[in-house]
This record gives sequence, C-alpha cells and structure tokens, in this order.
Amino acid sequence: MLKIGNVRVPLCDGVSRRSFLEAGAASTLGLSLPLLNRLQAAGAVDESKAKIKNCITIFLVGSPGHLDTWDMKPDAPENIRGKFKPIKTNVPGIQICEHFPRMAKMMDKVALIRSLHHKTGASHENGQRWMMSGHDYSEANKQPYMGSVLSRVFGPKGALPSSIILPVKIGNTGTSTPHGQESAFLGSGHEPFFLGGDPALSTFKVANLEPPAGQTEFRVDARRRLLKDIDDVQRRVESGSTLERDTAYARAFNLLTNPETKQAFDLNKEPDKLRDRYGRNTLGQSCLMARRLVERGSRFVTINHFDTVFGISCWDMHADGGSLNNTYADYEHLLMPQFDMAFTALMEDLEQRGLLKDTVVAVLSEFGRTPGINGRGGRDHYPSAWTNFLAGGNIRGGQVIGSTDKLGAAPHDNPIEPPRIVASIYHAMGIDLETTMMPGPGGRPVRFIDADPIRELS
Amino acid sequence: MDQKFEGTPKATLTLAGRKVTRSEVENHWGSRLQWKVSRDGKEIATVGAGLEPTFEHTDGAAGKYEVVLQIFKYVNYAKDKDGKFTESKYVDASTPVTYTI
Repeated sequence: MLKIGNVRVPLCDGVSRRSFLEAGAASTLGLSLPLLNRLQAAGAVDESKAKIKNCITIFLVGSPGHLDTWDMKPDAPENIRGKFKPIKTNVPGIQICEHFPRMAKMMDKVALIRSLHHKTGASHENGQRWMMSGHDYSEANKQPYMGSVLSRVFGPKGALPSSIILPVKIGNTGTSTPHGQESAFLGSGHEPFFLGGDPALSTFKVANLEPPAGQTEFRVDARRRLLKDIDDVQRRVESGSTLERDTAYARAFNLLTNPETKQAFDLNKEPDKLRDRYGRNTLGQSCLMARRLVERGSRFVTINHFDTVFGISCWDMHADGGSLNNTYADYEHLLMPQFDMAFTALMEDLEQRGLLKDTVVAVLSEFGRTPGINGRGGRDHYPSAWTNFLAGGNIRGGQVIGSTDKLGAAPHDNPIEPPRIVASIYHAMGIDLETTMMPGPGGRPVRFIDADPIRELS
Repeated sequence: MDQKFEGTPKATLTLAGRKVTRSEVENHWGSRLQWKVSRDGKEIATVGAGLEPTFEHTDGAAGKYEVVLQIFKYVNYAKDKDGKFTESKYVDASTPVTYTI
C-alpha cells in the first residue's frame, strides 16, 4: 500500500477514486504548509530515522570529462586517455587525476559512482533536468527540483529558505528548455531562492535581500503590514493558489527584514584564512556560503559552478576555437585547482564544525565527455557514461560504485541512472519512497521518484 | 557570469641553502600555483607548486638563480589556435629569492 498523507492507496494498479479525491483535497487545503506533519502522522517520513539533515550539491555545469578526472584510463590509447596522469589516493586501488591532490588525500570519505549514464539526449539541459530533479521532461510536463521537493516535505527549519541556489540561475547552455531547478507543480512557495550575485566580489550584496532603491526598511515593513491586511481579506474568499502566493510573499518579506538571514549571507564574518582556504573565487566563496547556510537552517543548497557554457572558462571542453573554446589549459590552470580547493575546504570545514555527519555533499554533472578526443583537442558531450560522487553524511567513503569499460565508453558493471542518486538523497533524508507519494499536478498523487536508492552508498 | 578576481595573492618565501619554502598564500584565487626558476636572468623552468610548501630546483649548473612563486591569473578565456591562453597568464605571488651556485 502507498500512503498519501494518511490516506492508504493501492500500489501499481492506480489510485482509488476515493483516495484520489481525499488526497487532492488534502493537498489543496494544505498547499502552503509542508507535507511533513501529515507524512509524519502516516509514518512515511520520520526525521528521527533520517540519516542526514542537509545536502549540498556542487553542480558542474558544462560537465568535466570523466576520463580526465575521476575515471582515468592510463592504459587506453593516447587519443582516449588524454593529457593528464592519475595519482594514488589515500584509498589503495583508487586513482584520480593528478590535478586533484587535496581530494586524493580524502578519498576515504568519497564514494565515486563511475557508471552513470542516461539515454534521453546529449544536451546540457537533458542532463540538468536528470540530475536536479531525477526526471527528464518537457516544458509542458515540468517536474520539481530536489530542493523544492524537500522544501515541500519538510518546510523551513528557521528564517532561511529550505532550498537555496548559489550563486545565480543557470542561463543559456544551448537550448531553450528547462534546467531542472524549479518548483514546477509544487508551486511558487517552493521555488528555490537564488542568491543572484557573486559572493567572491567585494561589492557583493544579495540581490534578493536588498530593498528596492529608495525604500527604507521602515517602508518595507509598512508595506508588509498593508499586504497582510489585504491578504487576510483575500484568504477568506479565495483558493489555495492565493495561499501559495502568500507563502512566497511572506518568505520574501522575512528575508528582506530579518537580520539573521542577512548575516547568513555575509562572508565578511568569516576569517580571512578560511576564505583563502576555500579559494577567493566564485566557486570557493559559494561553497563557504553553503556551509553558513546549512549551519543556519537551509536543508538543500546547490552551487551552480557556472551559469553558461558560452564565452567563459568552464567545464564544457569542446576546444572549438569559438565560443566553446575550453581546452585542457582551462582544466589544468583554473578549473581543477579551484574545484580541488573548494571541495576539500568544504569537507574539512563541515567536519570541523560537526556538520559533516548530517550533511551529504554531492558533486554532480550533466554527462561525461567523449572518450575519443576530437580533432581540435577537446571532448564533446557524452551521456553514455560518466562519474559523479557523494561524500559526507551517511555515505560510505573510500569506494567505487560501478565501472566503465576499458575505453570509458559505456558502463561495464552496475549501470546507474540519475534518478537513483536523487532517490538516495530523498531516502537519506528520511523519506520512505516505497510507501509515500506527494501531491502532483492538480493534487493528483505522484511518486517522489521512480527509482531505488543506491544501496551501496551507505 | 564570468569570474573576476580581486586583490593580490601574496606568499612569503624563505630560503635555506637551495631549498625554498613558501608560506600560505593570502588572498588565494584558487588557481594553479607554480615555481618559476631563472638562471642569470633567463627563465629555465616552471614547476607546479603542488601541495608541498618546499621546493628545491635540481639544476646544479653554475649561475645566479632566482625562484618566485606564481599564480594563474584568469582574465578571460581567449586562446590562440593551439589552445593556449592569450591574456590570462601566471603572475608573481611572492617576491623572488636568489642564490648562487
């Protein structure tokens, strides 16, 4: 049996009409509230049994080549193995790229998944949707981002939003299709909060926390009271969608006026030495901010390492001589050193503060890159095989899950598709995926994710 | 959103014989570090600085040696036809130390 809140419904054979109607009504009436209370009552989400409380995802937009990073093939022909050399790690038998020397020293905390793949297309956006939501989908059938689902289930822990994306939204990565970082049918009250600025810059301010030019905090507060009065009237006569907008308004005002939330975003509170350890760059300072945010109550923080693949140094290593001209030089001199510093600083910092046991750090990307190096010295999109990894929280580090063949061209054993990573995170958060559903479009019950957690991870 | 780098990365070098030791880098941009070695005013080697704070160049030919720590400064991703950066480059992150063989 499945449960939708405390309503039992049959598995697989569809949902009974009575259950469907009850669930739909429940979801409409409770739209602005987290599902947690109802799911807890049904025994489907038990936070005391949750293995983790937080998740930080570092999303490598553009996607590094697996053969150049975490699934090296030093015995493959030269046009496949690439330019870089593998190095030993602190786990016998596991090697990674020479340009991740800090990460190599903490491999005992990391679980590499080397057999990821998906089959729905080689655009960046296909991979973004898969990795951020566990689904691929069209504009007409949007699915919610992981952070939005967790916001819907658990609600906020404090004044901060449950789900925050740093530093900015993903913009143009090639096609005009969704990037997988939206609340979809869960409604605007569960949209992730986008920082909207570069925390590495001395001029940084949280764009979404600044009152509009010319407005003092007094005026903002006065407007909040006025809006509340109007909404009180509306609430008596309107439907659930109004309640949902109320939540978004309330959240915006709370962020604007709460000194605690403003402090959470203020990296000047951190020692210079620690800021240096993360790296004084967009990724490093975003990772530091992610730690501050989970420390203060955010449950799910995603760091987009780049918002576009065009005209900037990023992971999208086509070496095309034009607007996609990333090469091995970008990897060696800039991207890999930045990542190595930022990721390991985050892990160390979380551990030193006692947060690592409750926080999974997931490093995700859209796909791998072609095993064969192209005629210009780059690698192109390759969703047939790639490596991502998780660390911290309930993750059993020092292991490799799955493998690819000799050329890194296809999964060799234990092939794993993106939904299983999403399922692993939901499961670790305490959601019973076997017995729980959530309100989908129009209140229709839908499963959180149609996949099993990766059992080897924990 | 392209990356912009502010401030000046700075480390202090100390020399003991031919062995150079660097301090932590203040205002570290997070990009790659390297040692640049010159002899009699001509660059003879660049070596990745890695995690080890100490470095000793192996060349024992006679001459006046200068060693400096450098960091990669990203300006933009413009490259030449061989894929090498044209504007982004390594810049000094320390004052040099010198010794003579």
